[in-house]
Amino acid sequence: PADIRDAAQARVRSAPAPVTDVARLCVCDLLVAQCDISCCCDPDCSAEDFSLFTTCSVPVVTGDSQLCSQKAAVYSLDVEANPPERIFKIIDQVNPSIFCIHATNYKQALYLKSPEIPTPENFDQLLDKFGGATFSTEPDSWNVDTDAQNPPDANETSRYEYGVPVQTEDAFLRLPSPVVSSWCSDANPAGFLVNQATKCIRSVSVEKCDSIQALSMLFYINSSILAVPRSSQMVNITVQSIVVQSLNGMRTLLSSSDVLRLPIVLDELCINAVLGVNYHITHTDTGEIIEAAAAFVLGAISKEKLSIEQSFEISFTQENTQPVPLSGNPGYVVGLPVRAGFQSQGYPFPAAFLSNKHSQLTILHSTSTQDCLAAQGARAPVLFGYNMISGCKLRITAAMKCQPLAQTLLDVLKGQNFPEYVASFGNSQAQDVLDWVPITQLHISEQMLSHTLQSSCQIPVSLGIEVKWTKYGSLVNPQARIVNVTATITTTTLKQLPSGRERIIPITSSVVFTDISSPAEPSYKAWPTIDIKLPFDFFYPFV
Amino acid sequence: SSQLSSLPLQILLYVNGIYYIFYFLATLAMIIYKSQVFSYPDDLLAPDLAVLFLMAILEVPRLYLGFKGNLTEAEAPLGLSLGLTVGSVLLCVYLLLWQTYVLWADVLLNAVLLSAYGLESGLKVTAIAAFVS
Repeated sequence: PADIRDAAQARVRSAPAPVTDVARLCVCDLLVAQCDISCCCDPDCSAEDFSLFTTCSVPVVTGDSQLCSQKAAVYSLDVEANPPERIFKIIDQVNPSIFCIHATNYKQALYLKSPEIPTPENFDQLLDKFGGATFSTEPDSWNVDTDAQNPPDANETSRYEYGVPVQTEDAFLRLPSPVVSSWCSDANPAGFLVNQATKCIRSVSVEKCDSIQALSMLFYINSSILAVPRSSQMVNITVQSIVVQSLNGMRTLLSSSDVLRLPIVLDELCINAVLGVNYHITHTDTGEIIEAAAAFVLGAISKEKLSIEQSFEISFTQENTQPVPLSGNPGYVVGLPVRAGFQSQGYPFPAAFLSNKHSQLTILHSTSTQDCLAAQGARAPVLFGYNMISGCKLRITAAMKCQPLAQTLLDVLKGQNFPEYVASFGNSQAQDVLDWVPITQLHISEQMLSHTLQSSCQIPVSLGIEVKWTKYGSLVNPQARIVNVTATITTTTLKQLPSGRERIIPITSSVVFTDISSPAEPSYKAWPTIDIKLPFDFFYPFV
Repeated sequence: SSQLSSLPLQILLYVNGIYYIFYFLATLAMIIYKSQVFSYPDDLLAPDLAVLFLMAILEVPRLYLGFKGNLTEAEAPLGLSLGLTVGSVLLCVYLLLWQTYVLWADVLLNAVLLSAYGLESGLKVTAIAAFVS
């Protein structure tokens, strides 16, 4: 048995030699022991098969044409003969160029390199190189222990730059993310100043959940971050807040966030498992990290679940700044939210506008149940340039009273804080009163034309927001500027239903962006004028 | 006539000098061309370049000694030149047969150089025989 194994190993060690003889090489011979159609070089074809062909798919097989003389196998069909037969000739092809290769003493010059066959000796090295999802060895700079590499780099400015991985004590700050498939990979480093949000799936088992490292809070805040690369100054990751999510999805914010909650198995559930981490890193303007905080979402995993989805986010803020996300600079960028706000209560002139996350222009967000009354305030922000439409279904029973229903529907359509003003430019500051456009509100009643009694019940059924924008600025780089915003509420009469019956009315809300820019007129510079004035004593002797 | 210097040898040495400059530049250019167009690993490029430069370094004293020996009718420099010619012949044979890529132009250039060396060697031997006797 030992020598059979050795013999087998010896056979496996070398890959099959490549076929280089042009007479035997046939690329169209794909079917084993069967004749390939129109393949004149196929050895499985007989003379009767050749008589059925019309062309040869591979007319000539040659070696490298840079050689001075090489053999070529020429296949052709003689259609004149009856029956048609295949002609196979081996000819010498000559390259007439004076720079043709007469001879080479380097065997692999004209052939592709054969891949290395794994053997017990080189297996580890090949596994390192090719075993991961990507073909690259782990860069040596992760290893902080190799001090030999540090001296040449000591002259570099010691600060983080954009995209440089954030280093921690042992390796780097991990932001688990899906690589190739949706499974979490812990080898994704967080880049400095790169705001990322990732979601990935991790396989869990409830019995061993307290031993799975990635489910415990400690894994994410254990190693402290280096303030600058390759320094000894550490920044501990503090726990900013802990939100506990119950099995039905309800989240509660814990009041005390200094207690470390580790996953434990309780009643066939695994509680305190990390479902999401949100890192907030504060840095100085010289690229030094001064603070790091992590906000956790912990949840419970039930016994049947074999995998959970974890979400991770990291954001960077400069110290002593309050970043306000702009939607463009200065014109709006398609896809960024439209900024809106309220006029502050200054009298007689408004001083500034209040604009924050809670006063965004939003429209109703359709839910899976499509029930208006159960929508519970799910709103989606209005993004510039994206026409949106959403809706829900309202089930009206006889017992519903008109006025409360109309008010509820108005809340559903407009949301809690429907803003009064919209920013004209993406970077409009709250102090610049003239840069804000008021939202015009219109009411249209559907049955105005049929002269029905206006005193009957009117309920709003649709909200249409029309945003008119124009191109502003130079011809080559026009900026989008919002000029007019109109919110139109359409109401319809609610007819009284006989008791016991119910009706379903669709409620819709939509946002439309219209480009009202007038065609651009290029203006030209004035022709230069020649302004010649002779000095007054030019004609001196004669004047 | 009492002139023992060989005129054909002198002409041949002179032409050899001019031809060698052309040969050196052409071979160097072709090696550069080969390294760009074909796969030419560094550990095969180095010996080829070393041989070419060594041949150039040998050529200068070889031609100088040949001129001097022939013109002064002294057999010692001419004999030394003959010895150096043997070295140049070996290097030329390497470039003809054992280079990594031997192009057709390489074959032509080296064949011409080899025939010049052969002819020169014959003429040098007859000149030495004439000077000694």
